[in-house]
Amino acid sequence: MAAAPEPVEPEERKSLKLLGFLDVENTPCARHSILYGSLGSVVAGFGHFLFTSRIRRSCDVGVGGFILVTLGCWFHCRYNYAKQRIQERIAREEIKKKILYEGTHLDPERKHNGSSSN
Amino acid sequence: MAHAAQVGLQDATSPIMEELITFHDHALMIIFLICFLVLYALFLTLTTKLTSTNISDAQEMETIWTILPAIILVLIALPSLRILYMTDEINDPSFTIKSIGHQWYWTYEYTDYGGLIFNSYMLPPLFLEPGDLRLLDVDNRVVLPVEAPVRMMITSQDVLHSWAVPTLGLKTDAIPGRLNQTTFTATRPGVYYGQCSEICGANHSFMPIVLELIPLKIFEMGPVFAL
Repeated sequence: MAAAPEPVEPEERKSLKLLGFLDVENTPCARHSILYGSLGSVVAGFGHFLFTSRIRRSCDVGVGGFILVTLGCWFHCRYNYAKQRIQERIAREEIKKKILYEGTHLDPERKHNGSSSN
Repeated sequence: MAHAAQVGLQDATSPIMEELITFHDHALMIIFLICFLVLYALFLTLTTKLTSTNISDAQEMETIWTILPAIILVLIALPSLRILYMTDEINDPSFTIKSIGHQWYWTYEYTDYGGLIFNSYMLPPLFLEPGDLRLLDVDNRVVLPVEAPVRMMITSQDVLHSWAVPTLGLKTDAIPGRLNQTTFTATRPGVYYGQCSEICGANHSFMPIVLELIPLKIFEMGPVFAL
């Protein structure tokens, strides 16, 4: 008789910490913001250089672009993430309520069907 | 509990801790960008060929580097204050437990529905069973229900202690002659560990806190209600 396979522990996500403390793998929205920030930095810096041929100033524009694009993406992504968490919490509560009150006078579906038939 | 060499926060077991982790991520991203900017400025300072030492007028730059940090501080302060006031909300707790710090153990009193009082000592290494956690496990855990608001009244019988459970985002000082209050709602069952967080003598590191969070149905069948 074959032995039952042992449960395998889920692999931990490797953490990449920028500057030693920002865990981009496990922080929601961090990887997305840093990647778009890097892209924005390259586009801004290279674009400035193409127009002006000034290396040092283009590097400054690149750094400024990185900071601004990263911040912008970060706030946008975190706002959407917060909205998503609220929706998930509402959905979880509604599922719990439905399981608890199904068939009783407090059943939300019965109330909804009652109001629509009226 | 924390794993070996863990630097970051533990996973959240209460809504307040979820908010704290969110705020921590937000502050860390701002800190990262400031560090990046400072490192770049340092790099430029070290690699410049400019050698003029004349003090020059730079009103615009000075205005920018005064207003910008103020804006950054406001961006950090607003979420911080929001969470600070959230932690002070009292949302009609269904259960109150008293926690009294001693040198060097905790006493817990469940007096709402009876007179259950017990001490919680750290398990000495010689008494550990296989699978027990050294310096963390105790002889009597604090058993609480999940998804029920709980009020903890914390005080001390001798010196300062602090009742802390990181995964719930709780840390409250136990001060002799004073009753401090904290409330929390746990969102998932499990066993959660904390340690005394105020220096209180030789065995300050050896008076841990262990919470065992169980479903309400099972909690109602337990010793608290059987008294």
